[in-house]
Amino acid sequence: MTNGLDYPFLFQTFLVALSGVPIALLVTVVALLFALPTGFAFALSSLNNVPFIKQFVRLYISFVRGTPVIVQIFVVYSSVPLLLDIFFTANNINVNVYDIHPIWYAFIIFAFNTTAILIEVFRSALSAVDRSQIEAAYAVGLNTVQAYRRIVIPQALIVAMPNLCTATINLVKATSLGYAISLHEITLKAKVAANVNYNYVEAYIDIFIVYLLLCMTIEFLFRQYEKKLSKYKMQPSAA
Amino acid sequence: MLQLKDIHKQFGDNHVLKGVDISVEKGDVVVILGPSGSGKTTLLRSINFLERADAGEIIFQDKTIDTKTATKKEIHALRQKIAFVFQNYNLFQHKTALENVTEGLIIARKMKKDEAEKIGVQALEKVGLQDKLDAYPVQLSGGQQQRVGIARAIALNPDVILFDEPTSALDPELVGEVLEVMKEIAHDGITMVVVTHEMDFARQVADKVIFMADGVVVEEGTPKEIFVHPKEERTRQFLKRVLPEDYTVYI
Repeated sequence: MTNGLDYPFLFQTFLVALSGVPIALLVTVVALLFALPTGFAFALSSLNNVPFIKQFVRLYISFVRGTPVIVQIFVVYSSVPLLLDIFFTANNINVNVYDIHPIWYAFIIFAFNTTAILIEVFRSALSAVDRSQIEAAYAVGLNTVQAYRRIVIPQALIVAMPNLCTATINLVKATSLGYAISLHEITLKAKVAANVNYNYVEAYIDIFIVYLLLCMTIEFLFRQYEKKLSKYKMQPSAA
Repeated sequence: MLQLKDIHKQFGDNHVLKGVDISVEKGDVVVILGPSGSGKTTLLRSINFLERADAGEIIFQDKTIDTKTATKKEIHALRQKIAFVFQNYNLFQHKTALENVTEGLIIARKMKKDEAEKIGVQALEKVGLQDKLDAYPVQLSGGQQQRVGIARAIALNPDVILFDEPTSALDPELVGEVLEVMKEIAHDGITMVVVTHEMDFARQVADKVIFMADGVVVEEGTPKEIFVHPKEERTRQFLKRVLPEDYTVYI
């Protein structure tokens, strides 16, 4: 016989879970700040057949895509401290690697992971802009850099928007794996709260709702921005 | 003012241009005719290096450029003086008609925005689109888009405008408006090199007609020479195929 849901706890833990949002968003934003320019640069060089980069990018993407994020987290979280420790000891740097805040590992893992995904997003978006647009840019006297900056990239960005939105949302959701390295984000905070009286159902419902709200907000923002950017695709109204 | 010497271009095994020589005088309208696959478009595109010819020379305003070794700088300088009108218009999709016309002026020529806009408005007036300044390409008909394409070219005040089959992508009823604009530009004395299938335009407007087939120039001359007294059998065959049975040439 169960006693039904513990509503006061449900509400309290909702606030606890909500307090994990800043950490989840911080990891997301840092990962994106790294991945957006890096992914774009790699996509561009790989499309333009820059030697070695193309092969490197292909290998990198298969590594990231071919392994679960949680495994990447475990690998980085267990091996990086060892390597750092060796490095610190060898150079007489007095830092205890086990004092390093887990958020740094989260930054590294999610930045690298998102980069791989964004390379693919930008690669397809850049190839979606017709070659004729660059030719037209050349024909009016623009050089290659100007042609990309003024003509190709603005159009590619709009093509990339829906996929960028998906990647961002996936990233936000993936930060929940941070609980595995005791990062105090949404999931871990709610679970810790639930541990006291075994109110797991309430905690999970809270986590569920927080992610849902968070992702819906992100989706809404992306859609607004996309609408603003792509006004040129709109046919004139009947008026 | 513009001379092409022994231009060669190969795509894989396909030898598209097999040593083409052409010369264009200042103020002339030169029309290039020929069956599809004859290399006309490739030739035109190689003039401003949208396609890089494998061998040959481009002599423009007393400067000789070797197509094989042309540097970025040389190509860039050339493009500042030679404008291009595309078959599929190639308007910048995310820019308005006016922005399409001013882009080259503001970004490539570093002109001030209001100055560029003044020129842009004038160019769009010239092609009859003064009430479409703020329209995006998707909101315009094919004929209107191509007129923006032409306005974009003339706004640059180029020494030569290259037209690559400017009316072939258009619905038949829209061809007229574009040809009208082109005739008007021709009357202004702008040097034009036009690849087209519009025989009437060639006949009425051209100072020189060049007939190409299989990557070489078969014959060239005034419209009268080409249309009324073609010397080469290939030219005769081509004209017979493209002109209606009862077509009479009045020149």
